[in-house]
Amino acid sequence: MKKKLEELLHEGKEKILSADTESTLQEVKASLLGKQGSLTEIMKEMPKLDKSERPEIGRIVNEIKTKLIAQIEQQREKLILKASEVSPDFDVTVPGIMPSGGGLHPITQMCYDLNDAFRSLGFEIYEEEDITSELYAFDKLNFPQNHPARESMDTYWLEGHDTGATNEKLCLRPHLTGGSVRYMQTHKPPYRFVYPGRVYRNETTDARHERAFFQYEALIVDKNIDFASGKIMLQSVLSKVFGREVPVRMRIGFFPFVEPGFEIDMGCLVCGGKGCSVCKNVGWIEIMPGGTPHPNVLRSAGLNPDEFTGFYVNIGLDRLVMMRYGVDDVRLFHSADLRFLQQFK
Amino acid sequence: MKLSLNWINDYVALPENMDLKKLAYDLTMSTVEVEDVHLLAENFQNMIVGVVQEVLPHQNADKLRICKTDIGGECKEIVCGGSNLTAGMKVVVACPGAVVRWHGEGEPVVIKNAKLRGVESFGMICASSEIGLSDLFPAESEAEITDLSAFDVPAGTPLAEALDFNDVILEIDNKSMTNRPDLWGHYGIAREIAALYDLPLKPFTPFDHSGIPEMHVSVEDTERCPRYIGAEIENLSVKPSPYQMQNRIWKVGMRPINALVDITNYVMLATGQPTHAFDADHIKDHIVVRRAGEQEELLLLNDKKLTLSSDDLVIADTESAVGLAGVMGGAKDSVLPETNKVILEVANFQSAGIRRTALRYENRTEASSRYEKAIDPERCEQALSMAMQLFREIYPELNITAFCDQYPVKLVQQEIDVPLQWLEHRLGKSFSQESLTTLLGKLGFSVSFQENIMHVVVPTWRSTGDISIKDDIMEEVARMYGYENFSGEKITTSFTGAINQLEIDLERKIKEYLAFRCGMQEVFTYPWMQDSYVEAILGNTEKMLAISTPPSPDERFIRSSLLPNLVKAVVENLRYFNEFSIFECARVFFNQNYTSVYDPSEKLPEQKKHIGGAFTSDNKNLPSLFRQAKGILEQMSRYTHMETLMLKQVEKPSWADETIWMNIFRNDQKIGDFALLSRKIALSLGIKTNAVLLFELDQEQLKPFTSRTNTFTHLPKYPLMDYDLSMLVDTSVKWEDIQALILSKKTKGGLLQDVSFVEEYKGKQVPNGKKSVTVRLVIGSLEKTLTSQEIESCAAGVIKLLHKKLNAELRS
Repeated sequence: MKKKLEELLHEGKEKILSADTESTLQEVKASLLGKQGSLTEIMKEMPKLDKSERPEIGRIVNEIKTKLIAQIEQQREKLILKASEVSPDFDVTVPGIMPSGGGLHPITQMCYDLNDAFRSLGFEIYEEEDITSELYAFDKLNFPQNHPARESMDTYWLEGHDTGATNEKLCLRPHLTGGSVRYMQTHKPPYRFVYPGRVYRNETTDARHERAFFQYEALIVDKNIDFASGKIMLQSVLSKVFGREVPVRMRIGFFPFVEPGFEIDMGCLVCGGKGCSVCKNVGWIEIMPGGTPHPNVLRSAGLNPDEFTGFYVNIGLDRLVMMRYGVDDVRLFHSADLRFLQQFK
Repeated sequence: MKLSLNWINDYVALPENMDLKKLAYDLTMSTVEVEDVHLLAENFQNMIVGVVQEVLPHQNADKLRICKTDIGGECKEIVCGGSNLTAGMKVVVACPGAVVRWHGEGEPVVIKNAKLRGVESFGMICASSEIGLSDLFPAESEAEITDLSAFDVPAGTPLAEALDFNDVILEIDNKSMTNRPDLWGHYGIAREIAALYDLPLKPFTPFDHSGIPEMHVSVEDTERCPRYIGAEIENLSVKPSPYQMQNRIWKVGMRPINALVDITNYVMLATGQPTHAFDADHIKDHIVVRRAGEQEELLLLNDKKLTLSSDDLVIADTESAVGLAGVMGGAKDSVLPETNKVILEVANFQSAGIRRTALRYENRTEASSRYEKAIDPERCEQALSMAMQLFREIYPELNITAFCDQYPVKLVQQEIDVPLQWLEHRLGKSFSQESLTTLLGKLGFSVSFQENIMHVVVPTWRSTGDISIKDDIMEEVARMYGYENFSGEKITTSFTGAINQLEIDLERKIKEYLAFRCGMQEVFTYPWMQDSYVEAILGNTEKMLAISTPPSPDERFIRSSLLPNLVKAVVENLRYFNEFSIFECARVFFNQNYTSVYDPSEKLPEQKKHIGGAFTSDNKNLPSLFRQAKGILEQMSRYTHMETLMLKQVEKPSWADETIWMNIFRNDQKIGDFALLSRKIALSLGIKTNAVLLFELDQEQLKPFTSRTNTFTHLPKYPLMDYDLSMLVDTSVKWEDIQALILSKKTKGGLLQDVSFVEEYKGKQVPNGKKSVTVRLVIGSLEKTLTSQEIESCAAGVIKLLHKKLNAELRS
């Protein structure tokens, strides 16, 4: 009997150690300690034993049972440690399921990036309607009466509103700047606002020219602004948007609504200013006109130009986005082509 | 505009070792945008002058010859098809490595040693078109080889040296100098360079006309023609101009014609002042400068026949108009091969008139584009001086038989007072009186000071509108000092209220909700719509605005709804995708409700911001597509924190399906529609197996909450049970009715807490005319844990009611 029990303990230990999954371990446990298990079977023989032997054997049986249980628990822990819920063939390289595929237009993304940057500097966001009059599109911006931009070959005039005095002639706005005057007329200085929107030009389209495109104006008007300060502001905004230092340079440029006027270039981000095909090898990309609002513009907004001055920029959003991603055809922005738009997550 | 650096060098002596990159940079920063700096000789690398020694026939080709050509100490055989080859002729040899264009067309080709019909050829002998010189050496036929025999250079001379092409061409962006009439010629740019680098500028010697008899010219409109200088010159002939003149004219992009015409063009390119030469023999009596008569006819020298308007200024004789002043000469007065006597005109015309005339006849010329920028009348003298000198050089035997200079009202130089304190304030930097005098003096401004005021007299060439206020003077100071040299202060501001723009923020929340939570893609479309979509979807164009000169004839109308362009975007994207959803946020326009908001005299039409969206998928998925789209609209107000939107059926949109349509309401106001595009319209637009759901709403009617509006309720103390019921009801029974009925059982303190829709099923498993609806009851108590008996009894009450009112049968 004793010998049988020792064999059982020995065999039991081996079976336990060779169980390599939790379920086989469970089977082993049943085969040893279950109702029809080997130990139980041996226990059934107890009555046949001599009374004097019983306490001794009983003790040994209990001991073996304890040992086996301990062994099983030990083995179970070992198995849990290295266990997997699935077979080792489970293919983890299968691609994940895409989250819903929506997105904002890349121009909107850029616009929001700029909004966030300017708002962090205390700028308000302003919007004006798309249809405006010649009065606001040109007169109030110091455009001479015979300026070519006023012609129908440049500006989309509306049917039935294309003749007469400048307050009667209506067009799809050719630039945003007229809206700045509207803002200034309806708010109290000092001003600090940005003004994103779509503008329209009667143009022949190609990869670099569009009839509808986006501008983003920023204007500060206050008593103490010099133009070089504007450069610092712009530099800090662009650096935030692009996530790195962006060099900015201002060079002479002429626009009727500013004096002095600048063409504002930013260092080419594609080549880092070394010169590449994107920047036509000059290392700079022209992205916006800017300058100090012309005294006549301030006057048409009801301000005294000897008291107030300011700094203005008009960022070409399309061009900025084109450079950000290397987009080579401006017409894609209005194409509504999902193959294009879905690239900008 | 192209400029020759050699030519500029005539007026300002540039340093020998001029850094061209720096020159381009400095001009770009302070004066005009230099788009390109090009070494002209680079176009002619590996091209030399060869002297043909012998012309031999080619054994295998009738049209080809073998030319034994001296290329400088060496004689090479070159195969050539030229028709005019003779021994002794000097020709252009493009040696291996040179870049040419076959017959002047197509892509550039690099010359290599090659066999032509079995004969080895060293490079090629070129026709002018093949090396881009057809304007300078016009050929009569394609096979004509350029003959350089007139050039006194030995064989082997590099072509660029022989033809004086060792020059730098600066290309200026015209847009960057539309406001600077003084820069439209080499002398003007030379003046800027002289100022930038502190170099002397060569002055002009005025033309001495003493003793020349007065020429009779009658200027009838002195406002449109403030100055008219005329000189009658005889003993001339029509002949080619000297090569150096032709070369310069060609280098900057014009075509040499003959000496008489070339002199006028050369003077214009040098000074920016257009001049014109009339054949004096074709002028009857004398020159008259007058307005054209209405309907007066004029044949231009480019053979365009014009019917003039009285707004046009013409140069005429006593009989008829002979030219369109400042724009183009007429056929009648043009220089002909037999011309030997001309009237040289150096005149000043008012800019706006020239511009109107050039535009009216779509006839912009080098002259008109300069005049329309407002040239100062004083410049006529420079042009006259230069023209006369050139005439004398080319025609030493000429006679000047008459002269006039009619300049009744002299140009007034602008005078501007600039307070020094203001200047310092605006520039953020103070300048001494001496440095201001120097900076401005270099540009021709004369400066004096009185206490704290700087008095500036503007030079004539900047006095025609360019410089008129003190801000203009500030710009001159700043650009001469160099914009990069101002350091600037960081802008400071006083602390004011936080920016709080609810409507602006709401739009962004909505866009981000639709894009990021609902998986829709934002698109942009044009404001103009294609007629076919307008007709199909909107029909009525009565309240629409239209563009006078539309992008295309069938895109006149600008949108009063976002839907036509959204549907067009769906149609176009269906080529690549079968299932997608898009949205757009843009303004729509109505020819009504004109209002004046900013200026009482300005009346603007109604313009509103709309949000529109489109969902599409295969027709068979329509029920789930519908629920998905509807869910987006139902939840929008919750996620974007604005007043609730409701969907109900009140008025079917014209473009909608008979059954699937709803209107969007805020309070009692209808602010938009949500519906399935009708089958008829979809088919007419070529949408065959897809369903298209559309929504559009008036964004301006949305009311954002001032802050987040989530509320908190305590978590239940006792468990709430979900209890699903599946029942059969008639297909006509609506969920809304089931929901209302069940909720009618809900009482305060009662066990029924809520009900929600789980699914609906129609098909084989249920009898005809019936549908299976599964709903989920939420049952529980605030006071205790319910027994299953209590739960069952609550559910039974609901079942009984549903059976009684809707004849609902519980499914087993």
